[in-house]
Amino acid sequence: MSDHSNKEKSKENRRKFIVSSTIAASTACALFPLASGIPSVLDPATKDSGNAEVPWTKVTNLATLPEDGTPTKFEVILEKVKDAWTTYTNIPAGAVYLTRKGDEVTAYNLKCPHLGCAIDYRKNSNDYFCPCHNSTFALDGSVTTDNSPSPRGMDTMDTKVEDGVIWIRFQQFRPNIAEKVPV
Amino acid sequence: MIKGIMDWVDDRSGIRGLVKEALYEKVPGGARWRYVWGSCLTFVFFTQVVTGTLLWMFYSPSAQTAWESVYYLQYHVAGGWFLRGVHHYMAQAMIVLLVLHLMQVVIDGAYKAPRELNFWFGALMMGVTLALSLTGYLLPWDQKGYWATAVATNLMAEVPLIGPALQKIVVGGAEYGHHTLTRFFALHAGVLPASLVALVVAHIYLFRKHGIHVKEPRPKRDSYFWPDQVLKDAIACSAILLAVVALTIYFRGAPLGPPADPSNEFPARPEWYFLFLFQLLKYVPAFWGAVIIPAFLALWIFLQPFIGKSKGGHQFNVGFWWALIAGSVALTGMAVSEDRANLKHGAAIEEADWQAERVIEIADTQGIPPAGAVTLLRKDSQNQGRRLFAAHCSSCHRYNGHDGRGFPVDEPQSAADLAGFASVEWITDLLNYDHYVSAKYFGGTKFKDGTMARKVLAKYTDDEKKLLPSIAKLLADGANLPYEENLAEDTREELLSLYYNDDLKFEDGRACIECHDIDSEDEGSAPDLTGYGSSEWLTAFIENPEDKRFYGKKNDRMPCYGRDGKLQEKEIAILVDWIRSQAAEF
Repeated sequence: MSDHSNKEKSKENRRKFIVSSTIAASTACALFPLASGIPSVLDPATKDSGNAEVPWTKVTNLATLPEDGTPTKFEVILEKVKDAWTTYTNIPAGAVYLTRKGDEVTAYNLKCPHLGCAIDYRKNSNDYFCPCHNSTFALDGSVTTDNSPSPRGMDTMDTKVEDGVIWIRFQQFRPNIAEKVPV
Repeated sequence: MIKGIMDWVDDRSGIRGLVKEALYEKVPGGARWRYVWGSCLTFVFFTQVVTGTLLWMFYSPSAQTAWESVYYLQYHVAGGWFLRGVHHYMAQAMIVLLVLHLMQVVIDGAYKAPRELNFWFGALMMGVTLALSLTGYLLPWDQKGYWATAVATNLMAEVPLIGPALQKIVVGGAEYGHHTLTRFFALHAGVLPASLVALVVAHIYLFRKHGIHVKEPRPKRDSYFWPDQVLKDAIACSAILLAVVALTIYFRGAPLGPPADPSNEFPARPEWYFLFLFQLLKYVPAFWGAVIIPAFLALWIFLQPFIGKSKGGHQFNVGFWWALIAGSVALTGMAVSEDRANLKHGAAIEEADWQAERVIEIADTQGIPPAGAVTLLRKDSQNQGRRLFAAHCSSCHRYNGHDGRGFPVDEPQSAADLAGFASVEWITDLLNYDHYVSAKYFGGTKFKDGTMARKVLAKYTDDEKKLLPSIAKLLADGANLPYEENLAEDTREELLSLYYNDDLKFEDGRACIECHDIDSEDEGSAPDLTGYGSSEWLTAFIENPEDKRFYGKKNDRMPCYGRDGKLQEKEIAILVDWIRSQAAEF
């Protein structure tokens, strides 16, 4: 009697073992293909891009800017840009508005800090206007309305004037947050 | 709660019934290892679809970005090499499993009625799988894939009537380029896998309809697919997985050769499982290889179920497949052994390995321009130098005994081996009479019997010979070789006085300086050795060895590359840089 139940028990154990090993091996096989590529797919998130030293880039001559502080749009041509495997040289990477006050120059990124649309300069009202979600900015880049979609003013970046030439450190910043954080 | 959701889903989809039907299929005679191949192939195909889709996130099909994107994945993306490796070796496993599955079906007679249709589906799937291998081989756009696929698509032109048009359609034009890659990629990642999925569904449906073809005698009581057979299947799949992971880790992923370059020849060889076809084409006309033999095989596969029904037909079928496999193995063996015995083939492979390493080194340091990585190799003086040497110098000169690129040279050597030219070691040997008149230096030229050999080097006493290494040091100093250090100023002065004085002289009492100028304004009767082996000296020499500064009228067959426009100034500069760049290997 007990012999018989032992036999039954060991049979049941054996079956349990088979089922659990089968499930384990099948699951491993089913998950492996996806798992083998997970590190590669997540690779971009693990690469830190914001910490690299931003190089100085020559934009234009001081003499080209109107002295009354009217913004002028310039292409920013970077000496070297890496896009995955390709290294580009002297390639347009964005645009800035430059305004002049005496010998001081301020550079504003063309991209709206809200969601990255290109901002227009409006001559008639002498201000900046984003045509996507209607954010408006004063000439000094500050937000002009209380309920502006943009959480912060236009992004400025480091500038310097040397021998009449304007240099900037061209940078992009994270959109739609109150603080200016480099991407 | 979970049961509630399951009930809800089951109520609307009938999923439980479906799963039950899938898992509780009867396996007459119990689970057996011989039934695992189909499941293994399904698993391998599933892996290929998943890893292939992941690879898709990195691949860019165009002539300037295909190799580059693969390079980036392989060397600059975390785990990229592993993902590529799994896809690559799994593809090879798939071919092996296909053959095993096929042979299982043939030996067990599972191709016979009522399973004819499924046998043909299987054969079709085999064709699609081979097409997947072929198209995938090209995608990295490296030398290997480029040249081998060119052969495969040229075979396509052998198809009667539509061949040339078919080739153009597949290649996307008359020449290989962007559209070859976009088309091959669409085939490899879209058309072919989709066809295979459809065929797999049909194959499994038909398989379920007729049930397992049971090989008699039955070893055990009948059981069900779950869990007994699934366990065996899962163990076999895990074994394949482990083998693929082991291969991937051992070889550090899939190989990536130098970028495709139509101007840089490479011996086209297909992937190993196509080698038998490659070898066959050495014996039969391309038309046979591309059309007649495949057509015959297709017809034979179609007829096989009917042949199998006749008396002795099954044995004939089995015998035929074994013969086919044996023939393929033999042809593969011949292909491999012929390549092994071919020194030039070995040199070409070695050169390609070198180029692959080189281009990766340059890409890592300089980056890849938009024009693509192939331009890096074309502009690289290391790569161009050896090619120029092979093309213009190696019919007389050698470099480490070969043609500069590593290939053996058919013509006998008739001028000096220039590996390590103008280094201390090279000049020391040159000044040894036995070496001077050997093939490695001037043995193949008329200078073997010249004044320097007969009246100078042959006549040195043992005491004089002891001074020769110092002379070599002095001369090598003038070469300014990048891999040798310059002498200190006072050492140089000391050696120079040795050169000028009478310690080393002809039997008639003259010193080196009497014939060979060094740092002096006079014109001797032999080549001026001021700055011997330097960039300036070597450039001027290659431009015009007949100049009175060098051999003058005594020049023995050395062409005036610059004077006669045989090489451009830029090419001579590359050649000079390359000859001077590294020490000899022996």
